Amino acid sequence: MSVQASNKRQEEVGESQRGVLRPVEKRTITVAVAGNPNAGKSTLINAIAGTKLHVGNWPGVTVEKKEASFDYGGRRIKLVDLPGTYSLSPYTQEEIIARDYLVHERPDLIINVVDATNLERNLYLTVQLMELGIPVVMALNIYDEAEAKGYRIDVQGIEQMLGITVVPTSATRKSGLDELLQSVLATADDPAGHIPQQLNYGEDIEAAAQFMAESLHKSHPSLVDKYPKRWLLLKLMEGDGNLQKEVNIGQEALLDEALHHLKRAHGEDIEAVMADTRYSLASGLTREVLQKPELRKTELTEKIDRVVLNRFLGIPIFLAAMWITFKLTFDLSKPFSDWIGTMISGPFKRWAEALVGFIHAPDWTASLVTDGIISGVGNVLVFVPVIFAMMFFITFLEGSGYMARAAFVMDRAMHAIGLHGKSFIPMLLGFGCNVPAIYATRTLENQRDKTLTALLIPLMSCGARLPVYVVFIGAFFPSHAGTVLWSLYVMGIALAIMMGFIFKRTLFRGEAPMFIMELPPYRMPTFRSLMIHTWEKGKHFLIKAGTYILAFSVIAWFLLNLPWGVEHKKDSYLGQVGQVVAPALKPLGFGQWEAGSSLIAGLVAKEIVVGTMAEIYVKKDEDKKKEKPTFAEDLKEVGISFAKASKDSLANVVSTAGITSISADESAEKAAERNPLREELKKQYTPLGAYAFIVFVLLYIPCVVAIVAMVQELGSWKWFGVTFVYQMALAWGAAFIVYQGGRLLGLGG
Amino acid sequence: MGVSDMIIAAVILAGAAYILYRSIWKKKGHCCGCSGGSCDKK
Repeated sequence: MSVQASNKRQEEVGESQRGVLRPVEKRTITVAVAGNPNAGKSTLINAIAGTKLHVGNWPGVTVEKKEASFDYGGRRIKLVDLPGTYSLSPYTQEEIIARDYLVHERPDLIINVVDATNLERNLYLTVQLMELGIPVVMALNIYDEAEAKGYRIDVQGIEQMLGITVVPTSATRKSGLDELLQSVLATADDPAGHIPQQLNYGEDIEAAAQFMAESLHKSHPSLVDKYPKRWLLLKLMEGDGNLQKEVNIGQEALLDEALHHLKRAHGEDIEAVMADTRYSLASGLTREVLQKPELRKTELTEKIDRVVLNRFLGIPIFLAAMWITFKLTFDLSKPFSDWIGTMISGPFKRWAEALVGFIHAPDWTASLVTDGIISGVGNVLVFVPVIFAMMFFITFLEGSGYMARAAFVMDRAMHAIGLHGKSFIPMLLGFGCNVPAIYATRTLENQRDKTLTALLIPLMSCGARLPVYVVFIGAFFPSHAGTVLWSLYVMGIALAIMMGFIFKRTLFRGEAPMFIMELPPYRMPTFRSLMIHTWEKGKHFLIKAGTYILAFSVIAWFLLNLPWGVEHKKDSYLGQVGQVVAPALKPLGFGQWEAGSSLIAGLVAKEIVVGTMAEIYVKKDEDKKKEKPTFAEDLKEVGISFAKASKDSLANVVSTAGITSISADESAEKAAERNPLREELKKQYTPLGAYAFIVFVLLYIPCVVAIVAMVQELGSWKWFGVTFVYQMALAWGAAFIVYQGGRLLGLGG
Repeated sequence: MGVSDMIIAAVILAGAAYILYRSIWKKKGHCCGCSGGSCDKK
């Protein structure tokens, strides 16, 4: 290991136009936050700036760079959260994004977030960051866990050896953050005094670098101004293809001449020689500064992993974890969903009617508000508790570190379809929403993996499909709610594997690359972080309800009432479209025009299937001559029923009795009043037809937004065409097999 | 349906169409939660 002060480097930087380091006075201090995946960069930024960047206990959560600005010590600081990378080589999208930013945008300084429990591996990146000639402050993060493990880290030793400021931090406990920010300000005020030391690559490489530096000064002076010089030299010597293309000197005699001696001495692979040198430094430095206690007992993470990652138990445990998630989701949320349903069909509808009457709006607008907006949006809002409960449990699994294991145990199954376990991470994200999941495919190494994964993601059941499942499951399978829901998610995964298998043999021939994935230690997520990220994942369903579900409910109402004065909804424009589609759906057990119209409307967003069904099926109750309660009575009812829902929810989760115990004694009339749509569906569908319908909803294309995301990410409408065709065929085929197969087995019809 | 009803209906439909355009097409495929940074921006 050899580190030398780089006074010369400082002089060189001082000479170059881009490299001039001046104290940052009035302008915003731009700080790039870089580090290995899962070192806690996003958590650190959230802890410092109070933003809500997506955080998960698995590698690859941050795909793009994100920013957060705040004031500290009278100065404006802008933190730029870069994707986690293990190096600055140009092999993955994350690495390219991170290094392009650091090289071309030149932040004032870098906070290098280092996982103190994985010092050696993290220092490899640190060494590369130091080559950029930008001041580096190291946040020695997860320091509390390192201490708890008995690690003793010589912080001053790291500072002396690397020539950078090192601050122990714990982002989750918010400790060391003030010290970190003070170091940032101190470094920004005196950047020239905080230039990191440089790794000496040995006599041969340094001599070649010197030769190249002199040649570059003569032949390409503009390059020396444009790039950090030492970084440029080292990367050119490594044979960095991207950079060679960018600077257009890949094939020049200059490189051959500089590398001639090196290649004779070390062989053709100079990159490997330099990587070895960096690893040696990281390893040597770690030996110098880290003292680990002797391992007397197996750590908890290893103990859990022995079971969870067992080749026979891994997948059954994953399926069991999913089943428990869905059971708890239902048990926790159902009383609140029922409560919202009762409130929307009761007090809110009455208040809306009163308001429309009060402003003397035309009669038809009263129908638009109650039968269109309240039925449409209201029947989606009913399922908000289910969505939030599901997101809460998924966030818990992410934060605990289990989701990374899920990807690991699925690796073998993924290899069968020509992908590897890393592709399963965007697919798991798809359980929340397919749109960010499609964007997350950019973490994959090559275009083949990316495209294939993006094509399979829509088969992962997103939260928007939950309302459809829940309304049908509540109507037809209330006593097996968790199991039926679980079967849909498992079916989505199984069919994704099947389609991947087909694609591998047709459109995407080739073998999956090696899968190397870091398994983070298990951690108990903090309650605050769970709440923040549950809200982040779930809130867009609320925003959707207030934007395009609201808008489409209005449009659907018009489509169901035009031509003006139409007697039956069947003859309306939407009804006519439904009638055209219905014959194709008849073999699937739901050949009603209502189902056809709802599925067409659901192309905009899956929740709209429920909203449209509510608009179609739920009859007006104008002939009921019941006395309407007063406003005060309504308010009292809202409060009392909420208290009851909370009590039922708690009882459901605590007891093993499940959700059937709650409504078992409920009269049919009361149930119909509380959830009229569910009662109407019971009259229109058989249980087998209902299951075929939700299978169809699971598999046909997710929504317009996901389509646009796919076109954006894959850069072509061609893949959308492929997705549309295969998903429609798959949805029809699967629903057909479910319905006709069920009939053959005597399960009804 | 009188002229005033048609005007009201047209305004409501135009508003709904604008919300759809703004929330789906103008965002170019980014979900509604993106403003909070919960998914990535291009």
